[in-house]
Amino acid sequence: MALPGELTFVIDLLALYGVYLIVSLSLNLEFGFAGIPNFGKVLPVAAGAFAVGFLPGRLAAWMIGLGDVDYVKDNSPIVARVNEVLQNSIPMALFLLVVTLVAAAALGALLGFAASYPTRRLREDYLAMTLLAMGEALRVVGYNYAPLVGGTLGVQVPDPFAYVTGPLRFTVATLAILALSIIVFFYLESTVRSPLGRTLRALRDNEVAASSLGKDIVGLRLKVLLVGSAVAAIGGAIYAFYTGGVIAITYNRVDWTFLPWIIVMLGGAANNRGVSLGALVFVTVRKFIIFYKGGLAPYLPFDVVWLDMLLMGTVLILILLYKPEGIIPEQPIHTIGLARIEEVAEKRQRLKLDHGENSKQT
Amino acid sequence: MIEPIYRDAVIFASLLTLLSTGLSLTYMTTKVPNFAHGSFATVGFYVCLTASRLWVVNPYLSLPLGFVTGAIIGLILYASTIRPLMRRGANFVVLMIATLAFDLVILGVFNIYADYLARAHGITSRYFLLRSFDFRFADQPGLFLAAPVVMITEIILLHLALTRTRFGVAMRATVENPSLASVVGINVDLVYASSWLLAGGLAGVSGVLMSLWFMGNPDVGGSMLASIFAASVVGGLLSIYGAFLGGFLVGLVEVLGTSYLSGLIGAWIIPYRPLMPLMIMIITLFTMPEGLAAVDLARALRRLRT
Repeated sequence: MALPGELTFVIDLLALYGVYLIVSLSLNLEFGFAGIPNFGKVLPVAAGAFAVGFLPGRLAAWMIGLGDVDYVKDNSPIVARVNEVLQNSIPMALFLLVVTLVAAAALGALLGFAASYPTRRLREDYLAMTLLAMGEALRVVGYNYAPLVGGTLGVQVPDPFAYVTGPLRFTVATLAILALSIIVFFYLESTVRSPLGRTLRALRDNEVAASSLGKDIVGLRLKVLLVGSAVAAIGGAIYAFYTGGVIAITYNRVDWTFLPWIIVMLGGAANNRGVSLGALVFVTVRKFIIFYKGGLAPYLPFDVVWLDMLLMGTVLILILLYKPEGIIPEQPIHTIGLARIEEVAEKRQRLKLDHGENSKQT
Repeated sequence: MIEPIYRDAVIFASLLTLLSTGLSLTYMTTKVPNFAHGSFATVGFYVCLTASRLWVVNPYLSLPLGFVTGAIIGLILYASTIRPLMRRGANFVVLMIATLAFDLVILGVFNIYADYLARAHGITSRYFLLRSFDFRFADQPGLFLAAPVVMITEIILLHLALTRTRFGVAMRATVENPSLASVVGINVDLVYASSWLLAGGLAGVSGVLMSLWFMGNPDVGGSMLASIFAASVVGGLLSIYGAFLGGFLVGLVEVLGTSYLSGLIGAWIIPYRPLMPLMIMIITLFTMPEGLAAVDLARALRRLRT
């Protein structure tokens, strides 16, 4: 059975939405809440994808006892063999998925930390410059060092959704991505609503005041980049699993640094719901542009892709100029109401009294 | 006989100096690292391509046009984006995003122009080489002479302009303290605008000359961005003289260092050349974050003696 074309379009759109949601939310934590200008978002995303290109294939080949094989050179037969096994073994597929995601997150966090460490005490524009340069660097390595992700040719990766055969496979994969993005949303949302989230806003709004209150600016910044990069790496990893292959040139500045920035600025910095909306708007618009590009091509003396670039850049400049707060502006911090605080205080008081009486009796 | 690698190094270092000067200049005045600066140089590449292939004139004649086109693009970025944002009190993070966005816009324009050149005139407009259009001088490519000459001219002119003219003094005053400068009657906005104009123009000139030696493509400027930033960071970002020195040093180290390493470890290292400026940048930030401009030479010498 084949799915109708419209449904395939929607499923693909939702998968892309989930991936961009994860990456944009991580950028929102860094830029929106902590004010860190991370212009190297492509770095952890590529790290996550490269982890998928490197690890699960080799791990699975070793697990099913293929022995000493060259994963990159004999990529296609090995992946085919691994997928055959995965089709009949859900636990192994899940194991590969989870192990790889954890490894991707760890690698992303490590790189995010390493990239920001040299500039941790300097003004943020130095951080922005180094991060931008670092983002390019990983692609250069991935492109030239073939054992990592196959260099110029790329690699295929094992399919952790192989047990669902036929067109349903993409539906299941999309559902998994969406589930993951929802988890990320709630994790980051609860982070920014916690005292830590309020500290980050304080750091963003007035660094001097925050440090005078004893907040460790440098440590917090490193921590935020660590978490943000780990989350973005998960996004990159799940995207690589979804597409079934990794090739270094895909992980460029425009798609994975610039687009998340537009999404965050469009939706509303420091507002996760706004960013979710921004991601939906932008991913849909881009998908339609790509979809209708063939229809426009005969009327233009150049490739339509460039119009897409012009459009993205212009949209971002216009947002910065005329609507810098985004579609949904930052909301006041969610705190629990006074009534609830009094209720809790009273309850604790009562508990203490009870406890006091009890201890007196004994 | 001069080894080709030294020729490469001198040409690249000289032309990188023009770029790092412009970057430091706009950073000093408007306090924003311009992420579109690499693409300013791409303008020069396409001006030179158009001149030598479409109009069939000597590429060196396109230098003034390269300056003007680069200057106009620099000015457009300032007037259309940076100035309105600064007036609205945007912080430097927003300004940085704006330069990144502008970079994408002009990258789109370059690509459209490249497609137009290829389709309407049948000119190779991607991965093109223009070396054959250069003249020969004493059995060397003309650029080997022209690039250092242009660099030295730029340094002398800029030095004279900053120290000997009223406008140069006004510019330095604005860098030191913009509000005080405007109080004494300096047109701060004009100073900012001319720094962007100059940065774009110098980058355009650099691009025209670069296209006679290096392969051109719409993204060529973007791929040099790390080198330009490394050069300016080594120079300390806040000093024109630092940018001169930083540009030349980083250019030399990038080319000669890669060639030295390839001799030492093996030729496989050559594709990793883009990592070189990054390393330089990181080492600089670790050892002297304020750059060469802030190194106290007298103290360093004293320390060496004891």
